[in-house]
Amino acid sequence: MLASEMFDLRDTLGQQGITFCYSGYMTEGILLGIGNAIKTQMQLGDADAKVTKGVFAVFVEQVQNVIRYSAEKIGNEDSSELRYGILTVGSKDDVPFVACGNMIETKDAERLRDSLTHIKGLDRDGLKALWKETLRGETPEGSKGAGVGFIDIARNARHGIDFDFRKVDDAYVFFTLKALL
Amino acid sequence: MENIKIPAEERSLEVDFDFAANTFSLSGRSFPENVPEFFGPLVDKLKEHFATQKGARIVFSFSLVYFNSPSAKYVLGLFDLLERTAEAGNEVKILWACEKDDDMQEMGEDMAEDLESATFELRFLN
Repeated sequence: MLASEMFDLRDTLGQQGITFCYSGYMTEGILLGIGNAIKTQMQLGDADAKVTKGVFAVFVEQVQNVIRYSAEKIGNEDSSELRYGILTVGSKDDVPFVACGNMIETKDAERLRDSLTHIKGLDRDGLKALWKETLRGETPEGSKGAGVGFIDIARNARHGIDFDFRKVDDAYVFFTLKALL
Repeated sequence: MENIKIPAEERSLEVDFDFAANTFSLSGRSFPENVPEFFGPLVDKLKEHFATQKGARIVFSFSLVYFNSPSAKYVLGLFDLLERTAEAGNEVKILWACEKDDDMQEMGEDMAEDLESATFELRFLN
C-alpha cells in the first residue's frame, strides 16, 4: 500500500514529464542544493549547455520569487520566515520546462496578471527593452527585488511562458507560472 | 583608494579592483542571498573614485558565467556609470569575456547597446 501510494505519485509526475519536483518551504540553501542537482542531472543527460543554463536561471528566479513573495508562510519577517511553494522541472515533447506555483493574496492577482499578460505579448526586442527599462527604473512598490524576475524568466523561455490563477478562498489565489525552454 | 580583492564564492563574484592602475575586474557567478549588500559598497567606491578621474585610461573587465536578475540591475548600473565616466573625459574600455554563443554573449551585447563614449570589446574564451 505504502509503496503503491508513492509509486502512483511518481507515476503521476512521470506522465506530466516531470523529472524533478519539490513541494514545501523554500530556503536559500534549498535553492543552492536543488539548483546544483538540476544542473548535474541535465549535464549527465547530455542536455545542450545553453538550455541547461536557461533552466538553471529560470529555476533561480522562480525559487527566489517564492522565498520573497509567497503568501503562504510561517514565522515572521523580523526573525526568520519560510515561504511555501511547489516547483517542477521536466520535459514534454523535447521541450524542457520549469513550473512553479505558490499562494498570493487576491488583491495582488490582477496586477500580476496584467504584468504577465504584457510580458507574454512582447517579442524578443520588446522584452529586452522592458528588461532594461525595469533594471534602470525605480523598484516597484511592494517589491523587494529588482522587479525584473518575470522578464528574465520570459527572456530565457524560448518557447514561451504560461501562467494561471486559481481561487482558493476570498483572501488567496494559487498562482502558477510555467516557462518553456 | 585602497584596492579591493574579494575571492569568488559559490554564489558570488571574484572582485579585483586596482584603483591606482584604474583596472577593475568582476568574474564568476552572481546570485548572492543579499545582492544589494554585495554590490552596494563596491559601486559606492567606484563612484567616489571615478568622480575624481580626468583624462584617465580605465579598463573594466567582466568575465561572468551567470548572474540573476537583481545582480543584472547592478551590472547594467556599472555600464551606465562607466559610460558617464567616459563622457566626463576619460578613456573607458569595457572588456566582456564569455564563451561564444553563450547566453552571456547576448547579455553583454544587450548591455553595451547604449554605450557611446565608452568602448566595448567582446573576448571569447573558447
